[in-house]
Formats: sequence, C-alpha cells, structure tokens
Amino acid sequence: MSVFYEKFERHAHGEGLKGHSTHYCPGCGHGLIHKYLAETIEDLGVQDRTIAVSPVGCAVFMYYYMDVGNTQAAHGRAPAVGIGHKVANPDAIVVSYQGDGDLASIGLAEIMQACNLGLPMTFVFVNNAIYGMTGGQMAPTTLMGQKTTTTPEGRTRLMGEPLKMAEILGQMDGPVYVERTALFDNKQRNRTRKAIKKALTLQVENKGLSFVEVLSECPTHLKLTTPEAERWVKEQMVPVFPLGVKKDTSAEAEAWFDPGTPAFGVDEVVDLIGGTDQKPERFASGFPTHIHDTDISIKFAGAGGDGAQTIAMLTTRTAINEGWDSTHIPSYGPESRGGTSYADVHIATDEVLSPASPNPHILVAFNPPSLEKFGPHVGSGGIIIYDSSVVPSPPKLDSGVKMIGVPCTEIANDLGKALVKNVVALGALQAATELFPEESFLATMRQALQDRCALLALNEEAFARGARAYREATKSNGS
Amino acid sequence: MASTKTRPKPFLFPEFCKACGRCISACPKDCIAMGSEINPATGFTPVELDLEVCNGCGLCLTACPEPYGLMPAPQQVDFELIDPQELLGDRLTSAPEPQPIPDERIGLPPLEPLILKGNHASAIGALLAGCRHFFGYPITPSTEGAELLARLLPQLDGIFVQAVSEVATVNMMYGCGGAGLRCMTFTSSPGFSLMLEGISYMIGAEIPGVFFNVMRGGPGLGNIGPEQGDIKLACRGLGHGNTHAIVLAPSTPQEMLDLTMDAFDLAFHYRNPVVLASDGYLGQMTGRVNLPNHMVRPGLPEWAVYGDENHRRNLHTSILLIEADLEAHNAHLNDKYDRMTREQQRADLFRCDDADWVLVACNTPARMARGAVQQLRDRGIKVGLFRPITLWPFPIDPLTPLLERVDGLIVVEAGAGQLEDELRLAASRAGLPLPPLHRIQHFGGVLPQQQEIVDAVTEKSGGAA
Ligand code: SF4
Ligand code: SF4
Ligand code: SF4
Repeated sequence: MSVFYEKFERHAHGEGLKGHSTHYCPGCGHGLIHKYLAETIEDLGVQDRTIAVSPVGCAVFMYYYMDVGNTQAAHGRAPAVGIGHKVANPDAIVVSYQGDGDLASIGLAEIMQACNLGLPMTFVFVNNAIYGMTGGQMAPTTLMGQKTTTTPEGRTRLMGEPLKMAEILGQMDGPVYVERTALFDNKQRNRTRKAIKKALTLQVENKGLSFVEVLSECPTHLKLTTPEAERWVKEQMVPVFPLGVKKDTSAEAEAWFDPGTPAFGVDEVVDLIGGTDQKPERFASGFPTHIHDTDISIKFAGAGGDGAQTIAMLTTRTAINEGWDSTHIPSYGPESRGGTSYADVHIATDEVLSPASPNPHILVAFNPPSLEKFGPHVGSGGIIIYDSSVVPSPPKLDSGVKMIGVPCTEIANDLGKALVKNVVALGALQAATELFPEESFLATMRQALQDRCALLALNEEAFARGARAYREATKSNGS
Repeated sequence: MASTKTRPKPFLFPEFCKACGRCISACPKDCIAMGSEINPATGFTPVELDLEVCNGCGLCLTACPEPYGLMPAPQQVDFELIDPQELLGDRLTSAPEPQPIPDERIGLPPLEPLILKGNHASAIGALLAGCRHFFGYPITPSTEGAELLARLLPQLDGIFVQAVSEVATVNMMYGCGGAGLRCMTFTSSPGFSLMLEGISYMIGAEIPGVFFNVMRGGPGLGNIGPEQGDIKLACRGLGHGNTHAIVLAPSTPQEMLDLTMDAFDLAFHYRNPVVLASDGYLGQMTGRVNLPNHMVRPGLPEWAVYGDENHRRNLHTSILLIEADLEAHNAHLNDKYDRMTREQQRADLFRCDDADWVLVACNTPARMARGAVQQLRDRGIKVGLFRPITLWPFPIDPLTPLLERVDGLIVVEAGAGQLEDELRLAASRAGLPLPPLHRIQHFGGVLPQQQEIVDAVTEKSGGAA
C-alpha cells in the first residue's frame, strides 16, 4: 500500500519496530480507518494532491503514516485549517480526520461552519465514545450510564446526552453526503471502505462536502478485549447511533468550487486600488498662510447625520489635491445615531504632526451643544461658522474670534434637500476663510460625485448659496 | 471462480502483529487462530495462520488495523526468510525534494498619491504585497479593512472568508499560510486575544501570516476608542510556550500601507507570523498615501503543504513528543528570534541629535508627541522623539547612544506602561542603565494630547526657554 510511508520515520525516528508499526493500541479502530483512507487515495490516484489534517487526539500522529501532504491542527480546529488549505489550492484533496472530543466538543463551531460552507472536503469522524489520548474521560458521545474517568458513576443527564453528529450535520444544507458506519464485522468494515471511497470521490469530482462518522473501538479505555469491544459497539453504541446514510444529494450535485486563479496583473491591481498618474488640478497659489504658517487645524462638529464627516473629508481631499499634507479623523459620540459626531482636520505644508484639533483655527458647528463644547477652545484670531437656523442665540466667546452665523438648514430646506446643509456650511467656510479657492473645493466635489451627476448640480448650488449667505451675514454685521 | 487461484493469500511478519484478534473472527474459513508463543520483540502473542483452506478472500486483510500487519503474500518469494526492511523498504517517501518558486517583484508605474483611511491603506498594502486570501471576523474599529478586501479580493479571483470566530480565523490562516500563501486578518483587541492560541501553533509550526490588530480600549469589551493595551500580548503573550513575532507599529496612513507590505515579506522571510499593532485612531485616520514602486507576485516556498507532488513530503506540526527534539526545536526558534532581534530593530528618531529630553511613543500618541516636539523646539527647548517602529524586537540599539546622554525620557502612551515595560526590559537585557524616566499615560480611548506633553516637558526640563 504505497500511500503509507515505507518506513515510519516520524514515529520515534523509525527506530526498531516503530518504523513499521503504528502507535495505536491493539485493535484500535484508527488503524483500520487509516488503511481504508490510504487504499482509497491510491485507488483514486490523488496521493500527490491529498492533504491530511490530523487532529488532537489519538490520531494526532496520522502524519507518521500517510505519505501525503500533512498538517497537524490545534484541538478542534481541523475543519478551519482544512478550509484554509482548500481555498489556498482548490485542487487539493483535503481530508479532515477528527475524533469525538475534537469534533463534537471543542471544535463544534468549526465543524458547523465547515458543513455550512459545504466546500468540497472530506470529513472522517471517529466516534469511539471516549477520550483516548488523555486517558479515558467522558466524550460528548459517551453513552448514558457509561463509566469513564470523569463519569465514575456513569454518565447522567447532568452531563448531557450523547451528541449525534451525523444526524445534526445531515440536516444542514452544506454537505452532499453524510453517513454513519462501523467497524465491528466484515460487513460494516466494507460499508466503511465504501463510504470513505464515496466521500473522497465526491471531493475529487468537486461536488461537495462529505461527512463519514465511523463508530470505532477503543479497547484500551473500554477495558475490553478487541472482540468484546466490537460487540460493545454493535450492541451498545449502534442503538444510540443508528448506522446508515443520513443525507445523500450527491446524485444531483454538480461540480462547483472554482474560485479561479488569483490575479497579479499590474493594470488590474492599479485600476482596482484607484491608482492614477493623472495629477489633480491645482487652483491655489500657495499655502493659506493667512490662517497659519505651516499647520492649520479645523474641527467640524454636529449631530450624527449632520454631514460633518463628509465635508471634513472633502476639505482633506481638497488640501491633498492642492499638494499639502492633510489628515482627517472622525470621532463619534457613544451612539452612532443622534450622538455627537465631530471630525478633526489638519492641513500642513510638510507633514501633519499631531492630527487632533483640540484648539482649532476654524470650527464649523451644526448645533448648540457642539458650539458650546468646542467654541471656547477656538483661539484668538480663529473663525467659527455655525448653523444659525438651529443656534438662534450663540454664546459669547473670546472677542478675538470671528463668529459667523449661516442659516444652513434653512437654505438646504429651501433647496429641497435637508441633507445638503453641510455643503452650505462648506461654501460659507470657503468664503469666510479663503482656505482654498472656490474652484478647488468644487473640483474635489465633482471628483467625489462623479458617479452621481444628478446630485452635483444640487451640491454646487448649495455651496454657492453658503458662500452668498456668508457675504450677506457679514454685510449685515457691517464688518 | 477463475480468479480464486490468483488472489494472494495473507502473510504476516509476527513482530507487526499486535494480537488484537480482529482477523480471527473475520476469516470465514477459520484459518487464523491466536498463537501460543510470545514474540520477544513485542511482548505480544501473534496470531498463527494455517492457510490450507484459505481462498484468498482478503477479509482478514481488511480487518487488520496495522499497515504492515496482515498483507497479501508477495509472489515467488519465500517471505519467511526475508528481512522485513528489505521487503518493506525504508524510504521515507517517494515524493521529490521540493523546490521553491521565488517571489517576483513587479514594477509599478509612477502613480499619484491616494487619499486613504488607515485601515484601507493597510488593505491596499496587503493587495500590493500579493495577499489574495483574507480570513476574519468583524470587529470595530478594524472592520473597514476587511470590508474593502471583501469587495476587492473577488475581483482579483482572491478569497475572502468570514470565519465563524477569531478562533476559526487564525486556524484558517494556519491552513492557508501553511499552504505557502500570503494571507492576513484584521482584528481588534478582544478578537486578537482569541487568536493567540492559534498564533502559538503557527509559531510552533513556523507558518507565516499577518495579523493586523487595531487596538481598542479594554479590558473586557472596553470600548472602541484608541488604546495601546495589547503591546504586552503582541510582545510577550503570543499564546502559550516560547513565542515571539515581529511587531510593527505604524503611526500614519502611509505606514499602514508600507508596514503591511513589509509584514508579508518579514513573515515569509522568517517563517513566522507578524503582528501589526495599530490603534483605533489610526485605523480611522484619512491621509495622503504614496504608492510604492513595486508590487509582489508571490511564489511558493519549498516548505509549503500545498496539495501537489512538489510539496507532498512536507508536514506542518508543532508536536514533538521526544523532549530532546522539542528542545532542539526551541533552540532553532531562539536562533530565529535572535536573528530578528539583530536584523529588524527599527525606529524613527525625530530631532534627537542634540536633545536633552527624549519622548518615547508609538502609533498615534507618537504624532501628538511629534507635534509637541515641534512646539517645544519653537520655544528653544531641546527635546526629541524616539518612535519605535518595531515594538518587538524593541529598537534598543538606536536608543543606546541617547540613554547615556539625555537628562530624561518621557514615555507617552495610551496604556498602562506596556511600551515602557518593553523599553525597560530591552535596556535591562542590554545591561544599560536608564536615565530618569517619566510617563504620560491615558486609558479607555483617551489619547495623550500635545499640550499636556508640552506642559510635562516644560516642567521636567525646568521650563527653560
Ligand atoms: S487509547 Fe483508544 S483510541 Fe487511542 S489508540 Fe488506544 S485504543 Fe485507539
Ligand atoms: S484471505 Fe480469507 S480465507 Fe484466507 S485467511 Fe484471510 S480471511 Fe481467511
Ligand atoms: S488483525 Fe492484525 S494485528 Fe490483529 S491479530 Fe490479526 S494480524 Fe494481528
């Protein structure tokens, strides 16, 4: 049987008898299942493509024996590891081999997800109703009344009922074939061989996920001879875990898993990430040093939904398009809706150092709490633009700060779209601060709305109305 | 039945029989019986075959759990006389010696900078680094990176899998990285905690993978504000056992892209996971990002378990039962950690040359600190910023000349001294005395602010100006 290594080099360096015999106890069902797997892999001619994922449990060392690609997984995680292998190479034939503690206890979430995904993979589940490797503790499949080292008086209801994985997974949409078989006589062993062959064939044909639960003997921890253990499985386990096919839709299943070969073309990648060699148009003649020599800090604040983030982002984009460094950080209040939403923007000649704006040069406030909270932190010489539609009586602030009320909400409502009040504010900001030329902001806006031309005219109008409102406001103030 | 004669009868090397007796009840002709002589090599009493009436049905072969137990008798050989080694062979495998396929760096044309959110910059860095496989579980504030890849990867015939948990995520990465491919995840603190077990397995089995942790406020569910509370996990707590990984700490959207690209190269160079430790603020920060001059088409390393002939002989495992073997494996890992420590210490020194006081900070707090340095320099106070880019290995070498000279260090962090601990440990291991060490710390999503750093330095340095 060529799928077994000629010599088990990994078994204690292949010394002495270990080079040709397994680490399993006499009569253990694992050896049989390994044999059936090995002969199936050979029959199907898939030795090179096969990856066997071994679990934690007595079969942890399956890789001592099987001359295929081998991966040993963390306890219960073989299905996840198997998914990683399968999506890495859809041509790989992935066999996840797990015991009852591994699959039906610690790894429940992983097996459920794998069966739900239904990728063409093969699961062999060895159910021997006990923990072998750790020395005979209760397994999720231990029978009621069965004595183990952790159920010294026998399993009771307090320890749950035996978990019937084949029935559970057979109800799911993902698998195409689920069967429970056994090893206790010639007939059952043949059934198991056939089931394993079918399960692997369905994967080779790329049709779907198969799950074969094998009732197996652990003579050691049942404290029985092998023939007694065979009888125990037949008489005690089978009534609880009925043998047979639990689901089989393989006849209708079609080959399906074909994600294609990952692409690495330069043009494709550059296009996808939005790379371009086209320089954005510049309109400004230099850095707006009338606000600050090297680093301008702005805060936009309002309630969630006021659109503060959007115009903050437009401002950052405008600055970067003009060739400066700029950052934008959003900070949201505790609730994502109706809470405070403020954005800090910096624009720097060289590199933005601190991106936070605790003492902004410019504040745009959309509601009274924002104005009250951040207004006092605007330094002398700073500019505050607030929505006078919702802030009828602004607080008294430092006399060195220029306060400009613009009825953003009113204007937006007048335009028939309350949402554009932020763009009204942005128009006012441009006019009030001359941070960058009007054209500069409009170009960024066009860029942002290139897929939604219908909105562009409205936004341009809102921007223009904001600028006009600023001029009217300052005229009426006589400044 | 014409075929009866051609079917081989069973034979058995007695030393490979474990005397389980399965074959006895399997044989319909009663050819097999329990033996009577104990085999001195095994201590078992192997079965005895009397094949006179054997019809070669093979049922006993199917019933024997041992690969080299009952087997079909070879033709024309007196097997009683031959040495099992000769018959069975002692080759480990017939698979070929695996050959690596090298990575390819493909030049990119000059491109205009992009304007990107930090998490998006990292996702794009991953694409440029040749990552086409993503596994993850949604968690704020890291999710934008995953969302962008969910949209872009399928367009490159890549794979995006939303795992059932972070535990499943890291194990999918174990499989995919084990197959020799570049894969990654985005996560945030609570999710990172869940991945640690799997990271230990990856380190043990020497499987590369990139973990992007956008650190948030803790402990427990904490909040989604920026913190640096996972530095200890990333530097000292990568699951159980003797584990380390390179930990990269970006501090701008540009570095989110650049360091993500580097992370993949480092992960494969050392066959080890790499952790990117970012913070919630940085993930959300939008800024200008220059694109690199190349992208990567990954090859396939010789150690991969890919599922093909070239890699059939490979194995990924972290279990080594024999103590001497596991000790040797740890020595090998230690060598690797030493190499990382020698080769990968990275730091950014800002105006440290003549500094009397040096701030130590990484991630977003380093930007507040940078702003503070500028502000203090404008007032004539000689202060600099030492910004570790690798948190593990801690860049003690570039810090060493400063330690002997400066009046003091001030560690600025969004956390309870985890960065400071790395600094202290690195200095202590290097046998270096530390100058007076002060700290500015905030927690729970509150970041140190530029002004308080300025005030602290002003006070410590005696308010000189
Ligand atoms: S303990 Fe049980 S399951 Fe484990 S090898 Fe022995 S018989 Fe098999
Ligand atoms: S081949 Fe059949 S008849 Fe011969 S020993 Fe085996 S089981 Fe018995
Ligand atoms: S089945 Fe195999 S191991 Fe068991 S008694 Fe027969 S020959 Fe020996």
